Amino acid sequence: MRSIRMLVATALAAVLALALGACGSSSSGSTTVPGSASVLSTGGYQSPLTTSLTDGKRGGTLQVLDETDFEHLDPGIAYYSLDYTVVFATQRPLYSNKPDAVEPTPDMAAAAPEISADNKTVTVHLKEGIHFSPPVNREVTSHDVAYAIERGANPNVANPYLSTYFSSLEGIKQANGGAIKGIETPNKHAIVFHLTEPKGQFVADALVLPLTAAVPKEYAEKFDTNNPSDYANYQVATGPYMLKNNAEGKVLGIGYSPGKSATLVRNPNWNASTDFRPAYLNEIDIKIGGTQAVIDRQVLEGGNVVENEPPAQSAIKLAAENYKSQIDISPGGGSHYIAVNNKVGPFSSIDLRKALWAALDRKAMDRVRGGELVTNVATHFIYPTINGFNEAGGVAGPKVDYNEHPEGDIALAEKYIRLAGYPSGKYTGEKPIEVVASSGAPAKEDAEIVNQTLKNLGFKTKLTLVEQSTMYAKYCGVPKEEIDVCPNVNWIADFSDPQTVLNITFSGNSIVSSGNNNWGQVNVPTINAAMTAAESVNGKAARGAAWAKIDEELVRDAAAVPFDWDKQPRLEGSAVHGVAQLWNEGAWDYSFTSLK
Amino acid sequence: MLPSGGGALDFLELGGGIASRSPLQLFWRRFRQDRVALVSLGFIAFLIVIAVAAPLVVSLLGLPGPDVQNLNLTDSFGSPLGPSLAHPFGVDQLGEDVMSRVIYGTRVALEVGILGTGIATAVGVAVGMLAGFYRGWIDTALSRLMDVVLSIPILLLGLGVGAACAVRGCVKGAVQPGLGLIIFVITIATWPYVARIVRGLVLSMREREFVEASRALGASDARIMLREILPNLTAPIIVYATLLIPTNILFEAALSFLSVGIRPPTASWGQMIAQASPIFTTAWWYMVFPGAALLLTVLAFNLLGDGLQDALSPRSVR
Amino acid sequence: MIRYIIRRLLWGVLSLIVVAALLFILFRVLPTGNPALLRAGRDPKPKLVKEIEVALGLSKPLPVQFWDYLKEIFLHLNFGYSYYSQQSVRSLIAERLPPTISLALGAGVLWIVAGFGIGIVSALRRHSLWDRAAMGGALVAISAPEFWLGLVFLYLFSSDIGKFKLLPGAGSYVSLSSDPWKWFTSLIMPWIVLAAGAAAIFARLMRGSLTETMREDYIRTARAKGLPERDVVRHGVRAAVNPLVTLFGLELAALLGGAVIVETVFNIPGVGRLSYQAIQSADFPVIQGTVLLAAMFVIVANIVVDISYAYLDPRVRYS
Repeated sequence: MRSIRMLVATALAAVLALALGACGSSSSGSTTVPGSASVLSTGGYQSPLTTSLTDGKRGGTLQVLDETDFEHLDPGIAYYSLDYTVVFATQRPLYSNKPDAVEPTPDMAAAAPEISADNKTVTVHLKEGIHFSPPVNREVTSHDVAYAIERGANPNVANPYLSTYFSSLEGIKQANGGAIKGIETPNKHAIVFHLTEPKGQFVADALVLPLTAAVPKEYAEKFDTNNPSDYANYQVATGPYMLKNNAEGKVLGIGYSPGKSATLVRNPNWNASTDFRPAYLNEIDIKIGGTQAVIDRQVLEGGNVVENEPPAQSAIKLAAENYKSQIDISPGGGSHYIAVNNKVGPFSSIDLRKALWAALDRKAMDRVRGGELVTNVATHFIYPTINGFNEAGGVAGPKVDYNEHPEGDIALAEKYIRLAGYPSGKYTGEKPIEVVASSGAPAKEDAEIVNQTLKNLGFKTKLTLVEQSTMYAKYCGVPKEEIDVCPNVNWIADFSDPQTVLNITFSGNSIVSSGNNNWGQVNVPTINAAMTAAESVNGKAARGAAWAKIDEELVRDAAAVPFDWDKQPRLEGSAVHGVAQLWNEGAWDYSFTSLK
Repeated sequence: MLPSGGGALDFLELGGGIASRSPLQLFWRRFRQDRVALVSLGFIAFLIVIAVAAPLVVSLLGLPGPDVQNLNLTDSFGSPLGPSLAHPFGVDQLGEDVMSRVIYGTRVALEVGILGTGIATAVGVAVGMLAGFYRGWIDTALSRLMDVVLSIPILLLGLGVGAACAVRGCVKGAVQPGLGLIIFVITIATWPYVARIVRGLVLSMREREFVEASRALGASDARIMLREILPNLTAPIIVYATLLIPTNILFEAALSFLSVGIRPPTASWGQMIAQASPIFTTAWWYMVFPGAALLLTVLAFNLLGDGLQDALSPRSVR
Repeated sequence: MIRYIIRRLLWGVLSLIVVAALLFILFRVLPTGNPALLRAGRDPKPKLVKEIEVALGLSKPLPVQFWDYLKEIFLHLNFGYSYYSQQSVRSLIAERLPPTISLALGAGVLWIVAGFGIGIVSALRRHSLWDRAAMGGALVAISAPEFWLGLVFLYLFSSDIGKFKLLPGAGSYVSLSSDPWKWFTSLIMPWIVLAAGAAAIFARLMRGSLTETMREDYIRTARAKGLPERDVVRHGVRAAVNPLVTLFGLELAALLGGAVIVETVFNIPGVGRLSYQAIQSADFPVIQGTVLLAAMFVIVANIVVDISYAYLDPRVRYS
């Protein structure tokens, strides 16, 4: 079965530089979203940039149909966008995003973070009057936020972001679930982060992660001693909704039955005056399972029902033609590219990589995904709505000859093959190259196009399709397997800082032996050094410029072959006034959606 | 309920004097009279010809090859275009000609069906024969082995084996993803069905007089198994095998539905149907034509099996 | 007889252990992925992955893991906890079993009735129009893949997306106790899809088997003796049923292990779907729990069949 999992997209533009007062390029309304009209437009269909946030009707129950199950609902572990649809309705991190924004709004925090002049201290003041849901009930304090972050270092919780984004936090290296030296709570409503390096801006940006959503220590620590922690099965909420539980706080089997269903009800202790969320709905019933094609149709023909995963290509067409008011398109939903093995095999040659880029028909690759309504031809790696997009070349991208022909240019490709040492213009190596792709549509079709392109260039290929998670976990993410081409890898930023788009995926320092996200094993010393330097740049404009330069270098190195900047579609029933999250690849936001 | 005609008629021939027909001739005469079975046999022969001569057929019909992608034949949403003069069966999401793919799909269907079933049957007969003939601990051991394999749900077994053998293959690379893997999975999953049935038949047959007679004449175990018992098993084996062939072709389709299938760009009916299922309300041709091919093939094998069963039993009443 | 039963049961347990070993090799030694990796998420530093592996008990040597696993299952009936939801596998399975049982039993009833009925009538009226139509229909039913048939039914008859809004659509299964009518109507289409192929096979086998039986001498004798045709047929059917019983037992047992495709298409929260999802996420405890359960059903079915054969045919007991 197809299982398309997208990674988190928390867009947080560093307009935290309220102090610096910078403003990025804007193309719509009051939000500042990097990108031009052509890449941000959604063909007249509903999009997060055009949907009203405030005219909803209170009440009603929303039905949600999800084909795949949640991965992790523990705010200290969650990172998939589907998980976020529940986590961000029930948990309030220090900062979070309104559905139409890429800049963060103070959530648990009372105001923007205060970054010291030396960029080594970040101070956040908390709002007062925010309470945990039953059975904890008491007011949230800064100690709860501290514990939430500290438990991320507990191996029973094992938050995936802590070591990446909070690496500069003092005492993080020794952290093991206990107190972290660099997190200070001078009083009940203030929390201070002490850093060992001047990365205050970046850490402040990272505070949108659900890791910063308060967790009550005295209630949670008994669950955190189990391995793995089962706090998720007993979690309490701070947001407008909570997972249904019993009097002892048990969620498992009540508010969440794995593989079957989840139920969100109103959090009785939620104080609307402390929150920017309107929370119109009374209840959200999520049903898990089924097949995407059937779910798509059930939603289109249904009333108060939505699906929260991307619909199949045929459903996109059906909705766009016959159910126009029931499809929402969200730009900036991530990007897709072809990862080629830079380390071993034929693609360690830069000329062969350029040849593939030149030969690839990127428009065809996008057509099988649903066409121009839901895709943009990609010309570089930082995608629309991410800071640095315009500086990196915008729609057209860096001016190199292999980037000029989105329909593919075989003659140019042959030129590069000759440069690589094959005078006939076709690759003549005997050993077949291994191509591993995901078996679900449309990844499968993209893989076949790439396979055919490679064959046209003279390669002998061995194409295998596997389950998507297997593709990453067992083949493409394991350098030792030496897979030559992974034609359909996908990446979404963790928040709209460009470092989260380029660092883990293209820095030689990020290569690990398993679970590797630098699938092409790109390892160019000058680029690595530039990335390390850019980590410490502060100020939104400066960061955008610095990382845009790195993007251009990656294009000139043809480190990978980008082909699609996603515009994520979602479907809603006819009785739903859905509001989608621009920062979470267009997923429906339960706290803003209402019924008609 | 088994025909033991083989033994009886042999005796008649030895007796000499009476010009009797051999069992084979009798079988053929009966079979020839069954028109439905003949048509089915003809159809299967036709399929074999198409499979072998696929490239020729495709070029004679003026169609592009099965792997020729043509994205211009999809609309702006990526949906394929329907049947037309140039593409009588329409195209798929990559613009590949469906008729061409259906023709090439014959190869996969026959390989999966005949080859896969053939190997599974051979293994099943061998194991069943040994278990039924020797009984005792050999039977116990083999029967338990059959139990173990039969007890694992075959789809899950297929998923597991498919995942384990993806990309690089298993059994030291002898089993490669794609056709080899499907046949491997089919063999592992279905040999016990044949074995159990054969075992049951052999168990009852070994008590019959002609076996005792043979043993009294000093025949070895192998001779008894191969010369006496096996010929009498031929009829039921063929019947069950022809029942198994379409089942295995469908098994391949189910595996494709769960993404453990033939490797693209190879065309297989099962994979085409699996791919077409979610979109068949808008792209009906992609489902109907491979589906029709599958149906006709399954029909043909089943009718052939019926015909063989009728023709092979000596006391058939028309 | 008792000794035979005991021997058979012991062999059954041994078979289960062998199945457990096979599963262990298939899903843990050659897995779809490292669950510690999948848990470690976006940027799994090797140190983190190691810690998770230790926490999940995956770092111990394989034979030790296998021994621990066997002990837990066979001595304590403890199947462990899901890597993802930390729910006990036993309770997960217990939750998912009722829908699967509903599905299996209903389909079983349907295909016995349809298969035997059609098969018997066809055998008795060979080559008649009825025979040809029935066998033709059976052929169509056999040659349609389950997933296709299921989707066609949904697109034709389901109340939410179908052309003729007759029956509840995908995902509408409820438990028998909460709403018996809805339970029943939501299972009609899945039952038909599941039973279709099996009924067709049974009909054909029944036809073939009964035809053979009806040619036997003792049938001819019975007729010659003047026994009413109905009784003659009854004798014939009883003898012909033999091979079908084995097959039925196996098929039903297989269904009790979960019908993956039908449960997925119709979104029924049964054991089949659970095991399929578990395989995709390399959730070993759940895979092992569900597949062992399925295997147990089949092994028990085999034991029951063998014991009944032994009861009927004394020679078998001494093998």
